[in-house]
Amino acid sequence: MRRELWYRAIVRDRNGKVLSCENRRSRSVLGNWYRILYAHMASTSTSLVHTSGNSWGVINFGDNWKFVAAANEDYIGIVIGTGIAAVTINDYKLESQIMQGTSSGQMRHLASTPGWPSVAGSSCDFLTSRTFLNNSGGSITVRESGIYCRVKGPTYYGYACIVRDVLATPQDVPDGGSITIDYTLRITV
Amino acid sequence: MKQRMKIKEGLSYKVVVRDRYGKVLKRIAAPSQSYTRAWNQCLYVLNRHSSFTIIDTGGAGRSISYSSSVLRANAGAGEIGYGIRVGKGMMPVTINDYALENPCGEGTGVDQFLHQATSASSPAVVGSECSFWVRRVMVNNSGSTISGIREIGCYVMMKYSPAYYGLGYRDVLPAEVSVPDGGSITVTYTLKVTI
Repeated sequence: MRRELWYRAIVRDRNGKVLSCENRRSRSVLGNWYRILYAHMASTSTSLVHTSGNSWGVINFGDNWKFVAAANEDYIGIVIGTGIAAVTINDYKLESQIMQGTSSGQMRHLASTPGWPSVAGSSCDFLTSRTFLNNSGGSITVRESGIYCRVKGPTYYGYACIVRDVLATPQDVPDGGSITIDYTLRITV
Repeated sequence: MKQRMKIKEGLSYKVVVRDRYGKVLKRIAAPSQSYTRAWNQCLYVLNRHSSFTIIDTGGAGRSISYSSSVLRANAGAGEIGYGIRVGKGMMPVTINDYALENPCGEGTGVDQFLHQATSASSPAVVGSECSFWVRRVMVNNSGSTISGIREIGCYVMMKYSPAYYGLGYRDVLPAEVSVPDGGSITVTYTLKVTI
């Protein structure tokens, strides 16, 4: 049995030409993934640090784990950054996130929606994809990616970082170009 | 491009059989053979914040929406719709399994167990590892030995009302297990990620 998370990073120039592609097994599902899973399986609450840095915890709630994101939303869904710190089990956000926008060091976040789960052979998987456009006027180097999801603590709503990866190769996204990050969650018997 | 692997996600189980005095008769511990597709589909429902048709433990397709009930496994005593279960089936696990092949029922009749509540530990971080366990004790008060236990698994709630349940994971034991009258079988699943 294997339960795997894979990611792919594809960089394109302003004309859509593929400049680079990195396809690897994800470095990590984080401890927060298991904290949310526990809250659901045990129908209870547990401690969890939100992306805000607040220890607001998580309770079992229907909005938990939501990471479908609309355009411009940089606080949920697949996110990217410039950090290079090694992944640790207690990471609660990207080290240095690239925010939504067109200013220096910013990228435009398009919508992010998981595709339907499909069964092929002995595997069941689904893919989530998000494209980021660089309209900042300069090149931006992407070094980390991850997934932020919605969570609810006993008192406050917030967001949790459940996946973080440091890319094996820094990806230079030219002005006018884009980077697309795909995450595939797969179970294989 | 190949990656040197560091992350390790794991699901493992431990089975302990005791006699009526609590003496351990048998222990089995092994990596789990598998999550099944309903598990990923439940995650999809939560991640996508949407609905999806998932086959329940009765073999019927059910429209499941995101809710706090999705993936619940904390069944109370006597509740066998969800929580950890044991059975007598020995068919190999497939991705499309939606129930145990031949689950043992609740009660004191032939081949029935008294299912205690399914409990779970809080997630613990030790070094670079985060884990928690889910556990259930099943007591044999049937009046005779229940033999031929070959499969274990965990049913999870997918919808509260009407109640629909799905198969989260299932394993076939390497050898059959017998639980004497008055004895018990305890199944513990540990879910873990290591960086």
